[in-house]
Amino acid sequence: MIKLMNDWFRQSNKLERIWLMAKIEFKLRYYENKLGLLWALIKPLSEILIYYVAFEVIMKQGIPNFVSFLFIALICWNFFVESTSGTIQILKTKKYLYEYTNMNKMEIYLSTILSNCIGLVFNSVIFLVYYTFISGTEIPITSKALLMIPIFLNLILLSLALSLILSSIYVVAKDIAQIWTVVIGVGFWLSPILFKLDTFMQALPSLAYLNPISGIIINIRKVALYNEWPDWTMFGFNYIYAILLLLAGALLLNKLGAKASEYL
Amino acid sequence: MSAIHAKNISKTFHITEDSHNTVKHRLFNIFNPPRNKAVEAVKKMNFEVKKGECVGIIGRNGSGKSTLTRILAGVYKTDTGHLKINGSTLLMNLGVGMSHELTARENIYISASVLGLKIKEIDAIFDQIVSFAELEEFVDTKIKYFSSGMVARLSFSIAVNAGADIMFLDEIFAVGDMKFQEKAIKVFESSWIEGKTVVLISHSMDVIQKYCTRTAYMKHGKLEYFGNTDKAIELYLADNF
Repeated sequence: MIKLMNDWFRQSNKLERIWLMAKIEFKLRYYENKLGLLWALIKPLSEILIYYVAFEVIMKQGIPNFVSFLFIALICWNFFVESTSGTIQILKTKKYLYEYTNMNKMEIYLSTILSNCIGLVFNSVIFLVYYTFISGTEIPITSKALLMIPIFLNLILLSLALSLILSSIYVVAKDIAQIWTVVIGVGFWLSPILFKLDTFMQALPSLAYLNPISGIIINIRKVALYNEWPDWTMFGFNYIYAILLLLAGALLLNKLGAKASEYL
Repeated sequence: MSAIHAKNISKTFHITEDSHNTVKHRLFNIFNPPRNKAVEAVKKMNFEVKKGECVGIIGRNGSGKSTLTRILAGVYKTDTGHLKINGSTLLMNLGVGMSHELTARENIYISASVLGLKIKEIDAIFDQIVSFAELEEFVDTKIKYFSSGMVARLSFSIAVNAGADIMFLDEIFAVGDMKFQEKAIKVFESSWIEGKTVVLISHSMDVIQKYCTRTAYMKHGKLEYFGNTDKAIELYLADNF
């Protein structure tokens, strides 16, 4: 089996192509600006500033190390928004790739999400540097922080799944883009990004399970900020969620997305 | 070994009077589904193209040639049946699809990679593609700043130099000026007819007769005949006059 996979990778240029497209996509997004990669960082930093003033200075929520608390959640949230809202029209913008060839459309999605991952890794490194050297926290980062990797993977799968679903629906219903903007707007306030976890769980206990992003944010804070184990039930639940949505996404791509060259 | 194996494929287009392409529109018209007219562009057929073969497709305008080639190239999804394509395909009218936001260099790498080439292979033919398109001075310019002629040359150059495993040529010899046509024919004869699988769509019986070993004759979306080229042309001409 492994030999077979190996042969397949060596013979085909799929991986090479996905990486090539991801690099070009990334360059298009960031390098075109004078500030380059810093843009990827400026967004969460400016958001942190706004929310810090609102929730710590004015409302005095009293969350210790609030900047790190926000930083790690916003990294996840922004990745999710960029990978979903930012890709709804992907079958239209990348039509030039498949309108004359039999290229597998899945490669377009993989390369786009990979290019977003470059930003995710960059932001995570900045976060870790901030948390360890600047935040002045007393809780040290331990090997438990390695669990950020499977949690990020969960986030990536979930984002890919929704990207597939939304962009396939776009083929037959263009206003899905507007609808998703509303969902994202509501979703932001229904996720534990700004609130204390206890307050959030007391007020909306079921939402931690219903909203797949909630679990991801709760768990990533546990491993990155509090040196705790993740909530394994939630962890498993979130993975199942992502995988089921991914299957639905693949199905929709095959049903609706496959007709993109006719409809778009 | 077959390059394309199609079994029971068909394609029907539903042409609607008003397009229900938003969620809002669909919800408000839930009990009032759009009236649509079904057009059977390709009726159920089997089709096989062997590796290395040059196959022709002929038929009058509206007989379904273009739809059939789009299905065989994997660009359109078939409504029924099963289609197996071994290798990369390129549906070529003028060239490859390109992004206007990218530079000529990026477009060359992406398009050639989509056609199945590895980065090393693209490195090797890069200069050839650029000089064929006569764009040496504009390699790192975004193609949105190109004239339409420059874009067309680049697109054609990538297509001819990279080339997919299976090429679909839709009236390629009828496009462009004389010089362009000569160039196209030269490349076609020297590098595609040998070694690549080619599906040729043309109204020119001379072209079909010259290159194709087998030819498909289509009429009203139906595959009337697929086999000996002379016989197919004979049927086509008999129907025309």
